[in-house]
Amino acid sequence: MSEYKLTKAIAAVAALLALSVNAYAQQHLDVQTVVQKQVVIETEDGATETQLVPANNVVPGDTVVYTITFENVGDEPAGNVVITNPIAEVLEYVPGSATNGSMRIEFSADGGQTFGLANELTIVADGVERPATTTDYTHVRWVMQTELEVGGTGTASFAAVIE
Amino acid sequence: MTWASLRAAFAGLRARAFYVACATLVCAAPAFAAGTPVGTVIENTATVSFDLAGTPTTIQTNTTTVTVAERVDVVVTLQSAQVQVQPSDTNRELLFTVTNTGNGSETFTLSIDNALAGDDFDPIAAVPAIYFDTDASGDLTGADQAYAPGVNDPVLAADASIDVFLVNDIPAGVVNGNLGRSELTATAQTGTGPAGTEYAGQGDGGVDAIIGTTTGEAAAFGEYVVSDAQVAVLKAQAVLDPFGGTEPIPGATITYTITVEVTGTGTATASTLRDPIPTYTTYVANSLTLNSLVLSDAIDADAGEIDSAGTPTIVVRLGDLNLASGIQTVEFQVTID
Repeated sequence: MSEYKLTKAIAAVAALLALSVNAYAQQHLDVQTVVQKQVVIETEDGATETQLVPANNVVPGDTVVYTITFENVGDEPAGNVVITNPIAEVLEYVPGSATNGSMRIEFSADGGQTFGLANELTIVADGVERPATTTDYTHVRWVMQTELEVGGTGTASFAAVIE
Repeated sequence: MTWASLRAAFAGLRARAFYVACATLVCAAPAFAAGTPVGTVIENTATVSFDLAGTPTTIQTNTTTVTVAERVDVVVTLQSAQVQVQPSDTNRELLFTVTNTGNGSETFTLSIDNALAGDDFDPIAAVPAIYFDTDASGDLTGADQAYAPGVNDPVLAADASIDVFLVNDIPAGVVNGNLGRSELTATAQTGTGPAGTEYAGQGDGGVDAIIGTTTGEAAAFGEYVVSDAQVAVLKAQAVLDPFGGTEPIPGATITYTITVEVTGTGTATASTLRDPIPTYTTYVANSLTLNSLVLSDAIDADAGEIDSAGTPTIVVRLGDLNLASGIQTVEFQVTID
């Protein structure tokens, strides 16, 4: 590598680092998402319990759980917090699996164009409007009803089955 | 920052780009009965929007990636109805379908087992005993390829299936009603075991293979039933002489009554009765009847005729006869020369 190229590369990396630091400073919210596999374990006394394990060796029929955590790391409250998560084509939302905390849970069945409550959502299929089912869901979103205070945290999660 | 770490950073960027491309492909993929194809990359990124002092902001979370592993599953189903056989029959086939219900390509080993419980005799596996229905006819034909373990083990894509014959001979000593079972087993070559068993790196493209609920091995058996049909033929005669008596003298008429009865559980297929006209007698034209219905003497569409080539012979085609057919009665007359 020539000295010129190396210099250019270092400059690029430095620019990237600077960018990310800026982004961090600006965003005020620290958000993370993790995916886990849900497994049913049989305990010694014969009962079964559900556990979340790393999402390795996931095959069709398995249930995966997505968990989004957020924290207001800024110095002022955040309003109108909405967390939107697409549901991949090969995933089928597990009914009732979205946790709400104090948030309103809405779904979209049209690729995120419109959202509505589960019992209000409809889709038009073959020219006929009908209630949307969980297999129709393309997105799930959580709408926070209150401001996220400085230092406030929250969690949103949902489960889906791999088709 | 060292050059090595720099290179690693760029490699990571390249890998990321590749995954995004895969995810796009996945979106266009059709639904599979066997499930999401092995190797499918499922990416997930949540979007968080919020207002800070009235200014809307949108940020994204990190992207999680799940690569779908290979699920190994197989189903074997019997296609044949119970096969009726006779003692000492050879090359009697049973048809099965082997279906790869996993989500990746899988190679299967096939095997036959005739030592099963719950039957009366063990069919004798022909050599070779396993064939593919190569010409898709549903019947064993000369065009069908024999299976040779390790040579032409079937490789099935996800959702794909193949039709397979088991071919057996029937022992000589079996009797009517005896049952014999023959079983086809298909075993995934990646491995078998309880559901959830992992074979690291053994899936398509080097992903992990996970045994599904079918344990990676499936079997189904078919049945042969010995259906011996016993055919009883009785022939009676009544003589009427020209003087009203029963003397078998020239000019006397003999009425022959032949009864055919099938017993047992089987079917006597395409049964035909042939009875030569005795020497020194002459057939009485138009006297042939089957179950009281007149059959013309000519060779035509009805079930009987006089075959005049060589010794004149009564021919009556009785068709497929079984116990339910009941007694078939054939009558004809001759005169004594």
